[in-house]
Amino acid sequence: MTANTEIFQLLPHLVIGVGIVLSVVIEISTKKSESILPWFTILIFVFAGAHSIINVYDYQILFGGMYAIGGVTAIFNFIFTIGAAIMVLNAVDYIKKSKMNFGEFYILVQSSVLGMMLMAGARDLFMIFIGLELMSICFYVLAGINRSRMGNTEAALKYFLLGAFATGFIVFGIALIYGTAKSTSIDQIVFAYEYFITDVLFLTGLALFVIGFLFKIAAFPFHMWVPDVYQGAATPVTGLMSTTGKAAAFSVLIIILSAVFTQNITNNFEILFAVIATLSMLYGSIVAIAQDNLKRMLAYSSIAHAGYMTIGLAAGNIESVSGIIFYLTAYAFMNLGAFGVIALIEGSNEENLDINSYSGLNSKSPILAGFMALFMFALAGIPPMAGFFGKYYVFVASIKADLTWLAIVGVFSSAISVYFYLRVVVYMYFKDSTSSIIIKNSFTGLLAVIISGLLVLVFGILPDTLFSIITSVLSY
Amino acid sequence: MILEYILFAILGLVAVVTSVAMITRPSPVMSAIFLVLNFFALAGLYLLLNAQFIAVVQVIVYAGAIMVLFLFVLMLLNTDSEHAILKEKRKLKFIGIFIAVLVFIQIGYIVFYSAPSDSVTKEIAESINAGKIETIGTELYTTYVLPFLASGFLLLGATIGAIVLAMKKFE
Amino acid sequence: MIELIYLTILLPLLGFVINGFFGKKIGNEKVIGLIGSSTVGISFVISLLALIETINLPVEQRTNVVELFTWMSVGSLNISFSYLVDQLSLVMALIVTGVGFLIHVYSIGYMHGDKGFYRFFAYMNLFIFAMMNLVLGDNFVVLFLGWEGVGLCSYLLIGYYYDQKFEKGTVAQAAKKAFIVNRIGDFGFLLGMFLIFETFNSLNFLEVFSQAKHLTGAESTFGFIALFLFIGATGKSAQIPLFVWLPDAMAGPTPVSALIHAATMVTAGVYMVARASIIFASAPVILAVVAVIGLLTAVFAATIGLVQTDIKKVLAYSTVSQLGYMFLAAGVGAFSAAIFHVMTHAFFKALLFLGAGSVIHSMHHQQDIMHYGGLKKYMPVTFLTFIIAAFAISGFPGLSGFFSKDEILWFSYANGNFVYWLLGALTAVLTAFYMFRLVSLTFFGEERFSHDKYHPHESPKVMTIPLIILAVLSVIGGWIGIPEVFSGEHGNVFHNWLAPIFLDAELKLAYYGAHSHTEELILMAISVSAALFSMYGAFKIYTQRREIAEKFALKFKKAYMVLLNKYYVDEFYEATVIQPIQKSSEKFLWKIADNKLIDGIVNGTAVVITSFSSVIKKMQTGVAQVYALIMMTGIAAILFWIILSL
Repeated sequence: MTANTEIFQLLPHLVIGVGIVLSVVIEISTKKSESILPWFTILIFVFAGAHSIINVYDYQILFGGMYAIGGVTAIFNFIFTIGAAIMVLNAVDYIKKSKMNFGEFYILVQSSVLGMMLMAGARDLFMIFIGLELMSICFYVLAGINRSRMGNTEAALKYFLLGAFATGFIVFGIALIYGTAKSTSIDQIVFAYEYFITDVLFLTGLALFVIGFLFKIAAFPFHMWVPDVYQGAATPVTGLMSTTGKAAAFSVLIIILSAVFTQNITNNFEILFAVIATLSMLYGSIVAIAQDNLKRMLAYSSIAHAGYMTIGLAAGNIESVSGIIFYLTAYAFMNLGAFGVIALIEGSNEENLDINSYSGLNSKSPILAGFMALFMFALAGIPPMAGFFGKYYVFVASIKADLTWLAIVGVFSSAISVYFYLRVVVYMYFKDSTSSIIIKNSFTGLLAVIISGLLVLVFGILPDTLFSIITSVLSY
Repeated sequence: MILEYILFAILGLVAVVTSVAMITRPSPVMSAIFLVLNFFALAGLYLLLNAQFIAVVQVIVYAGAIMVLFLFVLMLLNTDSEHAILKEKRKLKFIGIFIAVLVFIQIGYIVFYSAPSDSVTKEIAESINAGKIETIGTELYTTYVLPFLASGFLLLGATIGAIVLAMKKFE
Repeated sequence: MIELIYLTILLPLLGFVINGFFGKKIGNEKVIGLIGSSTVGISFVISLLALIETINLPVEQRTNVVELFTWMSVGSLNISFSYLVDQLSLVMALIVTGVGFLIHVYSIGYMHGDKGFYRFFAYMNLFIFAMMNLVLGDNFVVLFLGWEGVGLCSYLLIGYYYDQKFEKGTVAQAAKKAFIVNRIGDFGFLLGMFLIFETFNSLNFLEVFSQAKHLTGAESTFGFIALFLFIGATGKSAQIPLFVWLPDAMAGPTPVSALIHAATMVTAGVYMVARASIIFASAPVILAVVAVIGLLTAVFAATIGLVQTDIKKVLAYSTVSQLGYMFLAAGVGAFSAAIFHVMTHAFFKALLFLGAGSVIHSMHHQQDIMHYGGLKKYMPVTFLTFIIAAFAISGFPGLSGFFSKDEILWFSYANGNFVYWLLGALTAVLTAFYMFRLVSLTFFGEERFSHDKYHPHESPKVMTIPLIILAVLSVIGGWIGIPEVFSGEHGNVFHNWLAPIFLDAELKLAYYGAHSHTEELILMAISVSAALFSMYGAFKIYTQRREIAEKFALKFKKAYMVLLNKYYVDEFYEATVIQPIQKSSEKFLWKIADNKLIDGIVNGTAVVITSFSSVIKKMQTGVAQVYALIMMTGIAAILFWIILSL
């Protein structure tokens, strides 16, 4: 098959790519773009997501080993596109209320999703890097897009500086890998991984590469940017960064380490990942207790969740990969849902982020309170919400890898984390309202929350629907 | 052969010195000029690696076009007020330098420990044969067509991002 | 009916959905109450029919699994939503739905006029749903689902009157405390589950237990599993050291206390230990721990119960104490005696709580027994049923409590030792004393309330009929478990019914003590007469000579204060566990997070960044640099690790 027909295999990517260009045209040519663009964006996302998940069993390597479609990539594409679609629903009213320049917002979201999809499908280090940069640059700008807010620019600047710093290490890692493996093709690297890993330069290169992505998933000690950026960025953007961004970085980690996961090779990074996971979980859970700002609390919880997922990397077996992917899916929807509720409550200039703003929410809006409680319990890992199975699969995988102590730390940390998730529920249900917060009626925002809530429940009550897909595609 | 080593040493030294100078100068204009010098040194290194085309592009595009534009902007905006960066935190600075040197030594140690053979790097440099425009063009439009396309979107995204951030400044 | 057992679980869920989502629209209390209680009632009927069907099966066919759908499969781990219908789960299901139904009916009267009437019934039905999952699940994961579910409902229902004050804090705090303490227990339970999976590569009850039966020589593994599971049980069933939440749980409406915190949820730990009896039997050391913890909790809680003045608090400590009894029974290997006591206790303790609710209801939510007195003439039905329950719990011969309690005491001596028996009997004496103190102060003596404020009256029929039914059960409920000393060889119906479930565990434990029936009768006579004497004493003191009690309290003021303050356990936990964690989060770790500490180290002074005025200014204070520095330090550490591994 020649390259010019292979390109049509990438229909979801093409649709989003053409969508980006079309969005620019729409934005320029019509005054009504405010009402067209969000729905256009959602449309292409839903199409891309549906196309990916329908063709999940159609695994192909394209462009001479440069790119892959189907399989795990398709599941990741599903997370990216559907997650981003929910985020766009959530953002429609946010953009109206904060008067951001809306057209660019949607174009940047589309571009970042394209970047994530390129990362997940890439089978070459170049490709990964380009995808990563596409995603990151869009995120840097998105983090600073809400000009009216204090701290927004600061968040963007911090994110950009530290992100560029991390990227430097990724590039250096790629150079070392290329220098020893004489190839940037991941298939070749994975194929001879056992041979290469004995070379300390390769090991160092891989370690630096991994460190760069640990920065993106916000694992300790590369998490420092997270609280400031999550708090500073616009709420829907934070939702996108914390969920799909994390998933994209994990997709790369899973691919580059796939030799360890599938071929029963000794996991050189086992101790490294185990230590990072332990520190991330405990640090995230304990510090989150002291937070009164909900976005900041979710930022620390995001660090802790990165830790739980890193347990899967430490375990390094096929079960752990499926565990991580399931966890990422569950986390994406529960976190997007939580940020969706926050976006509805925070008010026109994100002034109601304090936990006190949630007191008595149940009496004001039982639906929102109910969903928020659902997301909090899901994040805390209480069955039958999806969050429980995410943790459960990862813990089971780590026990299989003889890392029982790590699972114990994980369970311990999630026991601590219940405290601050529950705190929100207590405020919503068991406190009377102290402030006169008006919850804006937002049909799209509510829709986003409801969709995420339903997905969290579906993946919790019927985890097998997703899990069987994950396990069967992993056999490729 | 010896000449190659001497040239590498000189160019490498220039690259390191100019980059350190670039981040330590208080005046942005001076920083930009050191960056231009740095780009020249890099171009020289590319030449040593038998990558003439990239060397030329490096000089023309980065040193020539982009940095000159950059200098214009800096001079027009007359940003002079950033004298005190890093001054406030001397101890932090020293800790930072200490850690940076430590990481540098560690990486150096690892590189020398593993001692990649001369032939490896040579082989790679020759296998790419990056000197000719023709080779680069062929590779770009066959093997690397997908990254090439993706780079287009990267540039588009970066452009839109830059516009968004710039509009903010002028509003 | 066995294959329809899932209906007993789905019906309460249906009730929850209807009342939860449409309850506000329905509005009519009668309809809501009817939906809420009839779903549970039908579940009870189905369970009963399943029981009858099971009885008609030959013994070896009495274990049936009803599979609903596959929940998840991870490699070798296959978890289904499937339900185990056997002798044990049927007994539990009948208790849950039966007592649950009566309490639902009672609640229609008790909660009359409450603004959250529909919410209450929705939560109650959700609780029954979760509890049925807990007792019927055929694997640890479904059990855990129910386990968490009942915890959640308990939390929601304790916090039902969230806008009210409760003791020193608020109701919401009490609810939160219950949830968090339970989570500590759940932590143990989850670890136990993981260890089970690691050891047996399965979480299915039948598979795990049949493997455990044959596995020998893995005593330490069994020990850890049993220990972790038991930690889970101490959380849910309020045993030392995690019992502190149950007394606070009384902040919830009284029917909730009756259903969740007396009859059903708190016995989940006992059920779990009984269900995993083979694992506990394989770890004799932990089994002894179970017995000792149960015994200590029984004595400990009973002594606190002696001095409490809140009617529900007395009953709460009594519940903790009785749960201790059940663990004592399980700990000495008398699992069927433990389950028997779960059943009888469900009858009489639910009755006591509902009776207390009836009193509270008519006394305008006054709960202090010092402000009661002489109520028997105002509410005869409540009085009569309450005193029957008091006799039953005190072990009056012939009533249900007598049979179950004396079976436990006998086994604690026969399979354990004399000290177990002695402390157990002491608890029985204490129980009799505080129960009759409660009865005397509430229903007898002079009226210590003003008639202007309070107008005590009998509760409506919808409340008293459940009381009467429970009273009947409290009397006759024990007759199916009459010990062999009275009923002859193999005459204990209840024991025979459950015997196949615990056969393996009993074979492993191999208690074949040669104790004669004479011995049993002597011990029984001693404990019963002591309890009777104690009842009489309490009655006399608190109806006629209250000054004796007051003098006593004055004379032993220190001991009295310790008891009144519940041995200061709450304060102890606050100082040793809760404060340090909060402090470390607020004072220390967060400071690292916000750079205050790092700034402090770096600058020599703690510079608190407050100014957000300009980005550049903030950059100058070095936040981004510090972040980069920490990243670099991390990288340096990782590189060190690589170099060291060269």
